[in-house]
Amino acid sequence: MTSDNLTAARLSFQTWEEAQDFYLENGLSDGLPVVPPTPEKVRAMLDYVGLSPDAVVGTETIRGKRFTAEKLAVNAVLAGCLPEYFPAVVATVAAACERPFNLHASSTSTNGVTIMALVSGPYANEIGMNAGVELMGNGNRANATIGRAVNLVKTNFYGSVAGEMDNSTFGHPGKFSFCFAENTAVSPWPPLAEHLGFGAGSSAVTAVAANSPLQVSIYGDKSPQTFLTQTAHAMLSLGPTVSEVVIVISPELMAYIGESGWTRQQVQDFLFRKTHRPLREWVAWKRLDRPGDDADLRQTRGPLAGPDRIIVVPGGGMAGAFIDIISSWGSSRSVTKPIPTPTETRR
Amino acid sequence: MTTPQGIVTLDPRDEGSPGPAAVAPRPASLDGKVVGLFSNNKPHSEELLRMIADVIAERYQIKGIVEHNKGGHQWPAQPADLQTLARECDVAIHATAE
Repeated sequence: MTSDNLTAARLSFQTWEEAQDFYLENGLSDGLPVVPPTPEKVRAMLDYVGLSPDAVVGTETIRGKRFTAEKLAVNAVLAGCLPEYFPAVVATVAAACERPFNLHASSTSTNGVTIMALVSGPYANEIGMNAGVELMGNGNRANATIGRAVNLVKTNFYGSVAGEMDNSTFGHPGKFSFCFAENTAVSPWPPLAEHLGFGAGSSAVTAVAANSPLQVSIYGDKSPQTFLTQTAHAMLSLGPTVSEVVIVISPELMAYIGESGWTRQQVQDFLFRKTHRPLREWVAWKRLDRPGDDADLRQTRGPLAGPDRIIVVPGGGMAGAFIDIISSWGSSRSVTKPIPTPTETRR
Repeated sequence: MTTPQGIVTLDPRDEGSPGPAAVAPRPASLDGKVVGLFSNNKPHSEELLRMIADVIAERYQIKGIVEHNKGGHQWPAQPADLQTLARECDVAIHATAE
């Protein structure tokens, strides 16, 4: 045991560049340069959250992997995180280890999903996350490195390495990083964290085994019925069995929702109902080949098991009438964990 | 960047030793054994397993075949399924297909 109580193997290099090369050449990166994780930087992460290096953040039961705070911190430094981002990394990994998330299967599937982190509540603003222009794109350190850290944990620690355990047919760009914040500034609704049962003013992260987003351009009048019908039509492309979807609605469209007084629940209910189609249509489009020998083909079926499987959040820049649809992998369910804000952490 | 004393970094990989894992004892022969076919419910998995069972039946005097279906390929076998297989079979084959 060292004086800093860190137990990870120590690697010695003569130069920073030599250290960089080691991580890249040994597949301990996502292909981009990393920040070599010195003990001092790792210790700073742990000190920020008050976790001991051997604290178990989560356990994945299929492979029996115990995710320790130290290994998460090493990967968070690699990803370029600041210490104040680490609570989100810890909470996201803890969420992904929960049984409903189905980390093992989703990490090995040909479907090729990433661990997406959707942050809700004041934590996002306090650490400077982006919920506006380009929220799922590049340019914001917190968004980029929290999402990157989580996926480096998945590859480096859990072992979901492309071409080995991870056999994604395509993969998608979100496997580098997929993290963004709910845009509460433009929302007429309570934040998602509150909607999901966390207290008023609390922050939380929702981990989703996420496919690549599908952006829907909205045309015509801007009544919620119109643009949600267009969204429902796009959702049908996901097929008849989807575990969960995240719907991100741009501020321009949220304004129309606000004017019309629609609640989050109404949006969920509308999309759920509108995506129900007769079985014969699913069969005709070859999306369903075994509806059951005695199935009534006039009965309807939708992609989702219920309205609560539709997570709706406002997000994005002020200009543009767009909706993003992010579907989850297979049987995976999203899992949400609370995050203390920096203000709460300092208390 | 070069420093006089070099740079020390930490390993991000799982360094824990894997838990004990053992392969179940294999019978010397399948003669007189009940063979379980455990489908993961992917399309054609039951057909594949039956084809394998046919080959086994040609080579051994098996006592019988029992079939079970896991119900889906996306989640692990439930303990109740495994207990049923252990109770009803001497050996079991699990397979995937598309």
